[in-house]
Amino acid sequence: MTTPREEPARVLVTKLGLDGHDRGSRVVAAFLRDAGMEVIYTSPWQEIAAVVQLALQEDVDVIGISSLATDHLLVPKLTMALAEAGLGHVRVVVGGIVPDEDESMLLDAGVSRVFHPGSTREEITTKVDELARRARDRRMS
Amino acid sequence: MSQRPVQIPLPGFEAARARWQDTYNQQMGEEKVRRNRSGVEIRALYTPGDWSGERYLEDLGFPGEAPMTRGIYPSMHRGRTWSQRQLIGLGTPEDYNARLARILDAGGSAVSLIPCNSVYRGFDADEVDALLLGTCGAVVNTVDDMDTCFEGVDVAALSTAMNDPLPFTLLALLLAVAKRRGIPWDKVTGTSNQSDYISHFVANHMFFRIALPGSRRVLVDHIDFASRRLPGWNPLSVVGQHMQQGGATPAEAMGLTLSTAVQYAEDCIARGMDPDTFLPRFTFFFDISISFFEEVAKMRAGRRIWCRLVRERFGAQDPRSWRFKFHGQTSGVDLTRQQPLNNIARVTAQAMAGIFGGLQSLHTDSHDEVLSVPTEDAARIAISTQNILREEAHLVDVIDPLGGSYYVEKLTDDMEEEILSVMKRVDDAGGMYRAVESGMVQSMIGASALAFQEKIESGEQTVVGVNAYRVEEDGSSRGALSRPLPEVMQTQLDRLARYKASREMAAVNAALDALARSAHDDGENVYEKVVDAAVAGATHGEIVARLREEMGFGEPLVQV
Amino acid sequence: MSQARSETDPIGALLRGEPGALARAISNVERRNAAGRQALASIGPHLGRARVIGVTGVPGAGKSTLISRYVGELRRMDMRVGVIAVDPSSPVSGGAVLGDRIRMAEHATDAGVFVRSLASRGQAGGLAPVATHVVDLMDAAGWDRIVIETVGAGQGEIDIADAADIRIVVCAAGLGDDVQAIKAGILEIADVLVVNKADLDGGATTVNQLESMLALRAESARDVSVYKTTATTGEGVAELAGGIETRLAAQTTRGVRSPKRVRRLLAAAAGNHLAKRLRDCDDPWLMSICESLQSGALDLEGAAQQVLRSGRISDE
Repeated sequence: MTTPREEPARVLVTKLGLDGHDRGSRVVAAFLRDAGMEVIYTSPWQEIAAVVQLALQEDVDVIGISSLATDHLLVPKLTMALAEAGLGHVRVVVGGIVPDEDESMLLDAGVSRVFHPGSTREEITTKVDELARRARDRRMS
Repeated sequence: MSQRPVQIPLPGFEAARARWQDTYNQQMGEEKVRRNRSGVEIRALYTPGDWSGERYLEDLGFPGEAPMTRGIYPSMHRGRTWSQRQLIGLGTPEDYNARLARILDAGGSAVSLIPCNSVYRGFDADEVDALLLGTCGAVVNTVDDMDTCFEGVDVAALSTAMNDPLPFTLLALLLAVAKRRGIPWDKVTGTSNQSDYISHFVANHMFFRIALPGSRRVLVDHIDFASRRLPGWNPLSVVGQHMQQGGATPAEAMGLTLSTAVQYAEDCIARGMDPDTFLPRFTFFFDISISFFEEVAKMRAGRRIWCRLVRERFGAQDPRSWRFKFHGQTSGVDLTRQQPLNNIARVTAQAMAGIFGGLQSLHTDSHDEVLSVPTEDAARIAISTQNILREEAHLVDVIDPLGGSYYVEKLTDDMEEEILSVMKRVDDAGGMYRAVESGMVQSMIGASALAFQEKIESGEQTVVGVNAYRVEEDGSSRGALSRPLPEVMQTQLDRLARYKASREMAAVNAALDALARSAHDDGENVYEKVVDAAVAGATHGEIVARLREEMGFGEPLVQV
Repeated sequence: MSQARSETDPIGALLRGEPGALARAISNVERRNAAGRQALASIGPHLGRARVIGVTGVPGAGKSTLISRYVGELRRMDMRVGVIAVDPSSPVSGGAVLGDRIRMAEHATDAGVFVRSLASRGQAGGLAPVATHVVDLMDAAGWDRIVIETVGAGQGEIDIADAADIRIVVCAAGLGDDVQAIKAGILEIADVLVVNKADLDGGATTVNQLESMLALRAESARDVSVYKTTATTGEGVAELAGGIETRLAAQTTRGVRSPKRVRRLLAAAAGNHLAKRLRDCDDPWLMSICESLQSGALDLEGAAQQVLRSGRISDE
């Protein structure tokens, strides 16, 4: 990764809703760390208000939501809450099991990318790094 | 490698083997060592040099006799085929009842009840965002809901696997229904499928509700209650599936599961229970991955280890205590979203491994499992798969047909060694409870998860349609998914509100207070009070909330 | 919109306690950019309210859960609490997984608790300087008590302890022979020792062992309190919090202002700047010293002295 040592991307990896399977998010957290990013990692079942407060305090660039079941249906509420808190520059990605018919709904709600099962380490880390840069640029302007 | 030397008295054997080896080496050249998921080396060929029949009685035995490697019953699937227990749960209690009726019509006699994620988290429907209700399981909060689930069904004639973690409120609601219908509790049959709080703490956090020390207490209370009042109910299912789906290798999953069972057994013994009272009610639940022979060996080794362990470590005398009873579910982790119909082939291979491994009950995943809750068509194919394997391929006409295979017996020995070494690590850490408190188990599983992901990323492990044999796909092969209508869930919420308003609150509160007091009194059985509260009309969420107040909200130890 | 206003007046927003402004100031200070330096230069007059509590302990001691309960006690005392949770960066990739917030979930929506996860980012001189800067920002923003959380018992943790007024070390009950093993190092500089999971077997024994160890010390080094807690139930935490407040009140000079500490902090801060400069600078004067070192024309000590005498080691 080309980001300088003192400016690693800061990424939150978390889960909303009710699902508790976190093998995927732990593996992704390790990928991002190995790509030179700082990953703030939480336990599952986060409330939207808690995610917003965390994103604010930790000055994150990207939020990665790991989703199984229908938890992804909560993500539009998150993107709205982030915008209301002045965090509209923060990019949001969703990974996990997302039915095709919901993917465009998520993108319309402000999600930058949906990662389906089978996404490689390379795809994920490259995209997240790119989104982190964009988030920082947006905040400066 | 196993330490047991094997004599080859066959004249000419060594010479013939050397001849084959030379020719093989010439053809194959330098080969990379192959290992299975548990790290056991897999060679090209196995011979009487690896395993010979002179160890038959000591290490295999006959089915139903120690060490039970070939099977826990004398007639195994020839006498009684494995029960086909399909998971169902979606939407409202009415939806559940409708699907249940169709399964019973199709000849099933064993069912599972999968509750909604909100129930798993310990909440009533009015405590969570309505978007999340009923999408992965049935919303069951009250005795009326449970009654509706089983409307028109004779509960006493059915075996129900309740996917219901501590403090087992759903079973309590079922007992309340039985009481309502005049069915004696000793006729209620089934299993507490999610009773293994240690596996929830470690690897499938969604079922973890109250803090670890409280969970330890309530499980023993539950086992004790079942021993005395529910002779048809298995209060414990030790779930290796969670560990394996969390990333543990098959050997680790088996080793950690057996260590967990040891911990629970010791906790029961510390309570003064006799091993032969509770051991016959211990059941197990395993993930069946697509690593075919590894899974067969894992199950056979598990049977052998358990049989010896309960006799040596706990002095169990009753042969029913020695039987390693387990349910297997084909592993969803091996299924793919790409080219989903391929999953039918995967599930077939996994099911075959389970059958050859000698399981007592089997769930086959539907091919669309990775997309959402399975459609009815896909669920039908999953059941047909089992029927075809049994009745067309005749896979059960012979007990333990892979027994005696040089490879399978050697692999069983090797897997046993790996499993025992995992169990030793846990023992050295002070037993499973302390090992999970310290995070050792979570680290082990996490490391294996990452290692496996790396094998897929590097292509060392092929996944058809994902890292090999890819094709361009549109979404048209994937059917639409069912999701409960918001209006329907609103009806359920209204019903819940009416139920809560219409009860005898004095009785409910008294029962909840008694439950709260029992949490601080070692002389009381907390589970008995859970059941009393359900009978008095408390809801699932009210019971869990009260226990959480007294025993702490369960936070699993997430290790990064 | 408040974000726009705070962007035009970031220092003002920080001093008003706006969490977004504090968060961005912390990021700037971590990145050592101009905005960060400006923030640190501006907040001097606004410091002095906060007190800093450093907490460390080996993994498995339940330190994170204990800190979460301790924060709860501080909130009950109506204090605003900052938490700086430090984790190591990977020396290979430079990345880090920061998981300390996991056990702070009970405060996740409390605006009076500001939690910031810091990765070590390979600071050669130790983390005390950056931690001190973050502490100062939180102080200026109106936070009363600041907890610095680290895991481990090694030199890195000893170094960060320089940024704290009160140093706490958490052990688990049943430590046994490990007490002997770790008595050198972090235990030596602790002001408060906590035996957590005290409800387990060995709780009383561990307390006894620690107290015996303390009794063997010189009189002057014996002013250490030992507390017993069970973080999962909260037992003993109120006493611990009260005891910490008493100690803080008794400090006539704040711990972080003692002459030795100040000297060490200065050495660490200057050391970090020097190390960064030497790692990042490609100017000819430095390259020629490196070449001489590589060829053997200069020995290491000689090269180091040349660098220090060069007059070019400041990065400003």
